[in-house]
Amino acid sequence: MWWKALSVVLVVYSLLAGMLAPLKPGITRTNPETAKSGQTVTVQVFGYNSFYTRSAANELRVWLEYDSLHALAGQDIKILSDTSLEASFLFPPDLPNASTSVLLNAILDHPKDGVSLLPGAFELVKNTDTAAVAGSGAWNRNPVGDLHVIKDFTFPYRNVIYESIRNTYYHVPMWFALMFLFLASVISSARYLRNPTLENDRRASAYAETGLFFGLMGLVTGMLWAHYAWGRAWSNDIKQLMTAVALLIYFAYFILRRSFDEPEKGARLAAVYNIFAFASLIPLLYIVPRMFASLHPGATGNPAFGSQDLDNTMRLVFYPAIIGWTLLGFWMAQLRIRYQRLEDRVMDLE
Amino acid sequence: MHRFLTIILFMAIYLPGVWAQGNRDFMRETGKINVVVGVILLIFIGIVWFLLRIERKLTKLEHQLKEEQQ
Amino acid sequence: MQKIAAHIQFPAYLWRAIYMNLKRLLLLLHKEFLLEFRQRYAISGIVLYVLSMVFVVYISSIKVQAQVWNILFWLIVLFASINAVVKSFVQESGARQLYYYQLTDPVSLILAKILYNTLLLLVLSLLAFASYSLVAGNPVKDPSLFALVLLLGSFGFSIAFTFISSIAARANQSATLMAILSFPVILPILLTLVRLSAIALRLIQDTSYQRDIINLLAIDTILITLTFVLFPYIWKD
Repeated sequence: MWWKALSVVLVVYSLLAGMLAPLKPGITRTNPETAKSGQTVTVQVFGYNSFYTRSAANELRVWLEYDSLHALAGQDIKILSDTSLEASFLFPPDLPNASTSVLLNAILDHPKDGVSLLPGAFELVKNTDTAAVAGSGAWNRNPVGDLHVIKDFTFPYRNVIYESIRNTYYHVPMWFALMFLFLASVISSARYLRNPTLENDRRASAYAETGLFFGLMGLVTGMLWAHYAWGRAWSNDIKQLMTAVALLIYFAYFILRRSFDEPEKGARLAAVYNIFAFASLIPLLYIVPRMFASLHPGATGNPAFGSQDLDNTMRLVFYPAIIGWTLLGFWMAQLRIRYQRLEDRVMDLE
Repeated sequence: MHRFLTIILFMAIYLPGVWAQGNRDFMRETGKINVVVGVILLIFIGIVWFLLRIERKLTKLEHQLKEEQQ
Repeated sequence: MQKIAAHIQFPAYLWRAIYMNLKRLLLLLHKEFLLEFRQRYAISGIVLYVLSMVFVVYISSIKVQAQVWNILFWLIVLFASINAVVKSFVQESGARQLYYYQLTDPVSLILAKILYNTLLLLVLSLLAFASYSLVAGNPVKDPSLFALVLLLGSFGFSIAFTFISSIAARANQSATLMAILSFPVILPILLTLVRLSAIALRLIQDTSYQRDIINLLAIDTILITLTFVLFPYIWKD
């Protein structure tokens, strides 16, 4: 019983912590988003979840950075509101490299909010009209430093997905629950082959059914998230395809179970197929996705998340959410098993 | 069962688009937080569906038992 | 080396066991060939199936791009393989299976069937390749890699389809069930094969395709090990 209570506690914790903790401040865009080299431009920076007015303008620092050797510090910073400020940049006449335009990252340091960053925020175009070049500024060598790193319970800010980064705690655990439930189903099937009792068969089918439920949930929630993060609900991402195939295997498993006149024979052959299909699911989910490009995080060469996708604060919510949802899945499967046990007993009575 | 899923999917993906009429996008405003709300809602609906299925099966079983006792 | 070799001496009974098993395997293989030869109409049916599919491809699209060529080729091989292998258990009556059951052990039986089907599928895919490149051109740039892919593909298809057909043969609508059950299982093999043959066609530049071959071999090894472990459970009736 204790694990059922634990599952509720962990799921409630993941819901509360995942929804209530704020995002780190971020930069949504700059205005203007492009300029020519050799000019002085006043750039407006728009923040997300930021509190610029909480500190004085001279404590704030803004940079446009190309790499660790080429950056520009903003001057005459004016705070307009909590989420917008102005700074003027003196762009040097030359670009950091030989191309015609470069993308610069916007970096902002705030003593109370901490650092925020927008990669590729600003495009600097080479000014071909040399007469118009004032030649006022020069690239600073590594001026970005002495940053304020604030340690508090906040989730990382990511462009495009924004607040929906919280879906990591609700969409991803569906897959973990699915894998654990399918694993339990395969173990029950193997047990059935060694010891063909009705109980082992009931367990195998109930775990598979609950796993299928979590697979459908993961697919539906993933489609909703993908619609607003990638623009399309179904983008033939290899992980989506592979999961659809994993669900097909278990649909086939249930069709196989029911296509025999003798239930004992059906249970045995379904158990055999369950083990065989699960073994081919492992290369499906872990080897093949490495060969293809994927929109999912950690796509190339790593089935799990990289440190880029999951920071320490997120881990504090993510791992409990996985454990909580998996335990909840086993609870749901247990209800199915207990129901089936009752039904079998009633059938025996008749 | 399949019809149920289709309706849920339709609601999840197209209804927010319908609400988005008139220059405001319900799902995309305020940092796409409503996508998270939608995901949680979908999982909740899924669990209720799971419960309903067990409930229906249990009701059938109870009827069977009652007939047995008579 | 000689010292070590002197220490390792196979006992005579082990040699005898290996010899007996090999003999049994060869006998079973011989039986499969004999059976095929007696039912010549079945194999001619599959050959005709391959040829008509190639013909359909030919009349529906005269000029085929290399990318389309690759995918269509593997689809032809896939469907021909399913139809060729499905009969390997369905065609044998219950009485004859009972007879085998008394004569031999399940592992040698399934191994013989897998080996036989590998040969059959290899011949079929070579036939498909020959006829297909006759009508749609031959874009293969790396013949040795392509031949290896065909061999590995026939082996993988043979393991998966033979095993699934042994399950499906026990059920009521075996042909439908065969397609449903085998499709998800075959997909990782098929995807790897399409990718490898795309490399052989120079559609993708990839110098580290050895990893894909190792993946394919790993999948084949997993499947054949499971076949040996699980087939006795299907067999006992």
